[in-house]
Amino acid sequence: MKTMLTFEVFLDSLIFSNLITLMAIGLTLTYLTLKIPNFAHGDMATVGAYVVLTISRTFSLNPYLSFPLAFLTAGALSLLSYLLVYRPLSRRNANIVVLMVASIALEIIIRSSLHVYADIMSSVQKTYYRGLTYYAIKGFKEEPLRLGPHKVPVVTLTSTLTAIGITVALYLFLTRTKFGIAMRASIENPNLASTLGINVNKVYAASWFIAGGLAGLSGAFLPFRIPTSPELGWELLLKTFAASTLGGLESIFGAVIGGYAIGFAEIMGISMLSSPPFNLSTSYRPAIPIVVLIATLLIVPKGLTSIDVGKLVRRRGKSEG
Amino acid sequence: MRVKSYVPLLKLAPILAWFAALFLITKDPVRFFIDLASFYSFYLMLSISLNLEYGCTGIPNFGKVMFFAGGAFVTGALTARLIAPLAGVSGMFLAHYKLYNVIVGTQVSAFFSHRVDVAMATFVLMLVLAAAVGAALGWAASYPAIRLREDYLAMTLIVTGELLRIIARNYDPLICGTIGVSVPDPFYWLSGLPHDLLRTSIMLAIAFSTWALVDALAKSPFGRMIRAIRENELAAESFGKDVIKVRMKVLMVGSAIAGVAGALYAFYSGTVQADDFMPIKTFVVWVMVILGGAGNNKGAALGALTYLALDRTIVLLKGYVSAPFDINNLSYVALGVALILVLMYKPEGLIPEKPFISGTSRRRSRTSDQENP
Repeated sequence: MKTMLTFEVFLDSLIFSNLITLMAIGLTLTYLTLKIPNFAHGDMATVGAYVVLTISRTFSLNPYLSFPLAFLTAGALSLLSYLLVYRPLSRRNANIVVLMVASIALEIIIRSSLHVYADIMSSVQKTYYRGLTYYAIKGFKEEPLRLGPHKVPVVTLTSTLTAIGITVALYLFLTRTKFGIAMRASIENPNLASTLGINVNKVYAASWFIAGGLAGLSGAFLPFRIPTSPELGWELLLKTFAASTLGGLESIFGAVIGGYAIGFAEIMGISMLSSPPFNLSTSYRPAIPIVVLIATLLIVPKGLTSIDVGKLVRRRGKSEG
Repeated sequence: MRVKSYVPLLKLAPILAWFAALFLITKDPVRFFIDLASFYSFYLMLSISLNLEYGCTGIPNFGKVMFFAGGAFVTGALTARLIAPLAGVSGMFLAHYKLYNVIVGTQVSAFFSHRVDVAMATFVLMLVLAAAVGAALGWAASYPAIRLREDYLAMTLIVTGELLRIIARNYDPLICGTIGVSVPDPFYWLSGLPHDLLRTSIMLAIAFSTWALVDALAKSPFGRMIRAIRENELAAESFGKDVIKVRMKVLMVGSAIAGVAGALYAFYSGTVQADDFMPIKTFVVWVMVILGGAGNNKGAALGALTYLALDRTIVLLKGYVSAPFDINNLSYVALGVALILVLMYKPEGLIPEKPFISGTSRRRSRTSDQENP
């Protein structure tokens, strides 16, 4: 029984949750602006992963050096998709289903292009561009940190610091800067905000850029743990949906809670279910976030952040008294 | 008035010409035609059913592939196993079905070759079962989210579809996991060209009767009600319509149709593989409906034909052109771009939805015209 929840499983869950959280923050940001789930969000992560992978592979660089580029590329792609597809469509009064269909179309375009890219690159550079981790890159080695008897991969530390840093920075940005407050105002009430002289278009464009960039950044961490493939982002997206929905879809801090809940539920859950007495196959792992999503919709469809804890406590107090 | 009714036929002309050209360059025209007709029958059923759900009612069914898969899975899982005792297949093979499913399938097919009655009864039974499974999945998958906004429903359906695929891939008793299961051929009592012709014409007949059925449904009072729900949910509700119940009913009907299409697909390809049912299949059906014109069955049928023209061209091209990448991916890029362009510049599609005026209301409006000239 002791093998179920080891320190290693905890570290694994932590890394995974960091990545899901970064994705979920971005997804929630795009959801807030257009009120549609952006099905192409996962592919921004794949783009980020491939940007870093290509650069490190070609120039034998340390992957961390090209992380900013992953942020910028995925952010630019996300911004372009907003400017060229979503904004024109929503100006034509397209309904939410049409916008969702458009985002699925974009998802297919990006994913299929990445497949083509991976095929071409592997024939040009005569190496594999699928199923690759950073450790396969020549000249890249990373000694795990030592923490007592345990080995801690460096990526655990970097991804945790990034997730915490981004959350704090976003909090400060949204509450302390003028642009951040304008962003919140535009999301809350676009008409009123534009009456007060806020350029709502600019604000929305900025949030799409940030959202895509965060996805790209979380994607750049992926090849440390998971072999890269063009399907990676899509697989991650389904988990991100679960995280965002659990967090309430409309709250960035809900996304953080949802991200960690889903990440830990998936990794710890499968390591529990795959050991006795359940002995389930570990390939059921992707089913866990899906089950959490369905349970969320049945029990608290508005997400965890919609639960009024104060009210619950008060009601209990009253019934006792 | 008369000229107008020929317009859809005119739009058909370029696609038919395209098919004629493909027909000429292909090496085996008969095979090409039979393949085309068979694929058209599944795609027609899928696009017609999505049109009922999205085009007429406004339900964003992003999980179409799940119901298609449901029909295929039940056919794959049950056909051979149900008939095996009748066909005298050794119990050892059935006990280790994962290992011996191809042998069981072949033996059952051989049994079908001299028992036409059993073969046809099994075929019909499987179609009915597939419809039932499709409808049940439609109910179960929409239950958590149908009361919420469309985006929750869209996410839930797409995610549940993946859940079904994951289960099918890992739970061996269903369709033998990653290996896939072989499906006996209920038309094994014929062979060669007559076999293919009979099978394909039965499939086409089923597909076209579905079309007729959905057409009738769309023109019935129920059809007017679902359009009213699509246009204004609140107004429909204030007229006493139970919107949630109606949407669920529509999703169950559409999913039953998709289930039958899945069973036909399983019988046609002779095997069922879990990974054949990726979300991209759903996307393809959406392309058909939006390209053709949502809310109009003729449009959905034309959209399916247009997609098939592209798909068959890619299949042919693969034989002639060699590229350093999979051409399929390029065709998906093209489909995605086409879909976005249609949404932006021609959201009504190739054949726009025509307002339907029922017989009684036409008569009524005519008399009121006479009263107030």
